[in-house]
Amino acid sequence: MSKLIGYYTTQFGELWEKSLFDLVEEAISGVLKQTSLSNKQIDAVFFGNMLAGVLENNLHSPSKIAEILKVNIPIYRAEAACASGGAAFNLAKTYLDSNSNKNVLVVGAEKMTDYSPEETITGLSAASSGEEQEAGLTFPGLYGMMANYYLEKYHYTEENLAYVSVKNHFHGSLNSKAHFRKKITVKDVLSSPYVAYPLKVLDSSPISDGASAVILTNNRDLIKKQKNSVSVIASELVTDTISLKERKKMDEILATKNAADIAFEKAKISRKDIKVAEVHDCFSIAEILAMEDLGFWEKGTGGNKITELSTMFGNGDSLIVNTSGGLKAAGHPVGATGIKQIGEIFLQLTGQAEKRQVKNAKYGLAHNVGGSGGTAVVTILSS
Amino acid sequence: MIGVISYGFYIPKYRIKTEVIANVWGKNPEDVKKSLMIEEKAVSGIDEDSLTMAFESAFSALSTVAVDRNKIKVVLFGSETHPYAVNPASTILAEFLGIEKNYLAYDTEFACKAATGALISAQALIKSGYSDYALITGSDKGMGKTHDVLEYTAASGSVSLLLGKDDLILEILDFESFSSDTPDFWRREGIRYPSHGGRFTGKPSYFYHIKESARSLFKKTGLLPKDFSFAVFHMPNGKFPVQVAKSLGFLPAQIKDSLTVNYLGNSYTASALMGLMAVLEKAKPDDLIFLCSYGSGAGSDSFALKVTKNILKKRKEFTKIIKDKKNIDYPTYLKFMEMI
Amino acid sequence: MVINGRDKAMPCLYKYIMISPIKIWRRQKEIRKIIGKKGKVLVWTKIYTPGADFKKYAPYPVVLVELKNKEKIYGQLVDYEDSDLKTGKKVVSVLRKVRSSSEEGVIAYGVKFKPL
Repeated sequence: MSKLIGYYTTQFGELWEKSLFDLVEEAISGVLKQTSLSNKQIDAVFFGNMLAGVLENNLHSPSKIAEILKVNIPIYRAEAACASGGAAFNLAKTYLDSNSNKNVLVVGAEKMTDYSPEETITGLSAASSGEEQEAGLTFPGLYGMMANYYLEKYHYTEENLAYVSVKNHFHGSLNSKAHFRKKITVKDVLSSPYVAYPLKVLDSSPISDGASAVILTNNRDLIKKQKNSVSVIASELVTDTISLKERKKMDEILATKNAADIAFEKAKISRKDIKVAEVHDCFSIAEILAMEDLGFWEKGTGGNKITELSTMFGNGDSLIVNTSGGLKAAGHPVGATGIKQIGEIFLQLTGQAEKRQVKNAKYGLAHNVGGSGGTAVVTILSS
Repeated sequence: MIGVISYGFYIPKYRIKTEVIANVWGKNPEDVKKSLMIEEKAVSGIDEDSLTMAFESAFSALSTVAVDRNKIKVVLFGSETHPYAVNPASTILAEFLGIEKNYLAYDTEFACKAATGALISAQALIKSGYSDYALITGSDKGMGKTHDVLEYTAASGSVSLLLGKDDLILEILDFESFSSDTPDFWRREGIRYPSHGGRFTGKPSYFYHIKESARSLFKKTGLLPKDFSFAVFHMPNGKFPVQVAKSLGFLPAQIKDSLTVNYLGNSYTASALMGLMAVLEKAKPDDLIFLCSYGSGAGSDSFALKVTKNILKKRKEFTKIIKDKKNIDYPTYLKFMEMI
Repeated sequence: MVINGRDKAMPCLYKYIMISPIKIWRRQKEIRKIIGKKGKVLVWTKIYTPGADFKKYAPYPVVLVELKNKEKIYGQLVDYEDSDLKTGKKVVSVLRKVRSSSEEGVIAYGVKFKPL
């Protein structure tokens, strides 16, 4: 059984003073300190990052991490667009399933603010197909199409989407590491400028820098010595077509649905058991689709259900979603997000979530998506 | 007999009115309209160029005849706004049209008469037996400097003609060409906008070459202005073609249908040919059409064309098509022409 | 340069270079097959914040069209009115310039859609 024993995240935001590997170094030293481990006790590292090759001609990251850690161990990089962090984690867990008594470090990081928004947007569009890029479909454009389709099919308006951002910004105000810590209203969202119709600036996750790291282990002696530990009872990675137009349905991310179905089966628990979840809200529509595709809400009802704000912290004791602030308010340094999500669940299950602590959470779920749904990773943790 | 077996034209959707431009520069719109006789001109979108427009007119020309595209062994692209300084647009056009690969292609330039010069060469290649068919295109996204008279006249458009030997709509009875070295209008390599010699573009240039070219055709063929049902001239503005027609002995009724410049502007290599498009909407079998192009630098090609009965089957609508238009303002015009 | 044993060299700045002419050439063989085809809009959006290559066209709508032969194609919508932006709108594919790279590069022609 693999256990998560430590988590550290840098601040997410516009971190001008720090380069990509400054952030990686900070996250790695932070999590080693948290778990009182030395670099020599790490047996392997998994690194999630999407854009370093595209934006700054920076590859061979395993070797760079070896230099930082001063080790000669196996180090692997995983890339699955925005699910790079989740993919790295999934690989780490798979590694532990086949190697006993090992301690593995998983770190996700992204540096996005060294470049103009156009350059970053162009870099991010590498997550979409060649045809999508050629048509000038940006990432927001792809989710804009999904949003338009969903709103038209189920008869909702842009206002329904706005509640996602309102909730997540409220959560962000409770998280000192979040990029945005200011509360916003539905009116604020609706009056923000369009990015890709019908999605507006306040429907969209920001461009952020950041790094997050966790330590996973199946070494029983080490686990006994640790103050905090949670079990990873499922981690599933499922892929689907890169092209939105080739998917079976435009109002469903099949990869999420399949990953969730397999994960819940392996974990032997039901959706009702999940009290706290981090879902992939790169755009407001994405959280609504996620809640439906993960099986928490019935397909097509999300637009309405979100307006009840039942998944907002403080609103009763059913499932609370995205206490970190989600991608929207915590920020979305692409490679780091998947790890941050898992880390947030770790904090919740170990009573370390401070002002946003959900009570009596025994099971938590993290959901990370790559591109417009080409990859999905669902991880279930239990305390 | 060699001639035109099919034709196609493309005019972009957008128009800018003379008065919109005049108001920006503080000129009296009525004065400008009176002097140039242009109400509005056609403007192509930011993502259009001479090649995309040529494709539209050529696609139209080829779609109304059943021709084996592998028998089109001549593809000539005439323009003064070629997409590249070095790289043939004629092969890009041919490739998109599915014309494969055993053909002769080249791009031509002679200011506004690049396409009619190509027409002469093309018909010779058919006559010599090299090819059964030839595709020629005149296509331009005409540029003019701001605050210059060309700003009111330089327009976008394209005309394509498919030439052949059988089922002709228009027979090429005869032609002549007159050329000299006359620097009335030019554009240097690497420079964006053309320059011109002001009033020098009139009498010693446009008028001189057209008159000489027309007279040498009349002399050669024995035809006189009164023998033609229609006369079509290159149209740099709305006044010159009317004046030159009169001085050659044509009546206003003979040229009135060809004056596309009044509502479309001057689409450079497609200008005279566009006038021909308008005339073909009205022409009757056995009508003779006088077509006379002008290219700055300078030269003029004259043609005596005869309409056949096949026009009745293959005639294309013109007036209705060009009515599908949208007027734009000055900043949009500058954006589309990539001047800002 | 090396500082405190760590490589502090500035990595290459991201620069948008010419689109590969070979990629354009390969792509144009496919473009040929889908020009001049009719279809209807399945879903649309309008892009306000484009990437570098598309900056000068913004804002522009992008549509996903189903052609008569059931093939699905993405493309910008051109020569349109806002009322044309709806699911089910009939369109035809046209040849246009699709992206602008450097002034020196090969021109990329591709497919866009026009409302019928």
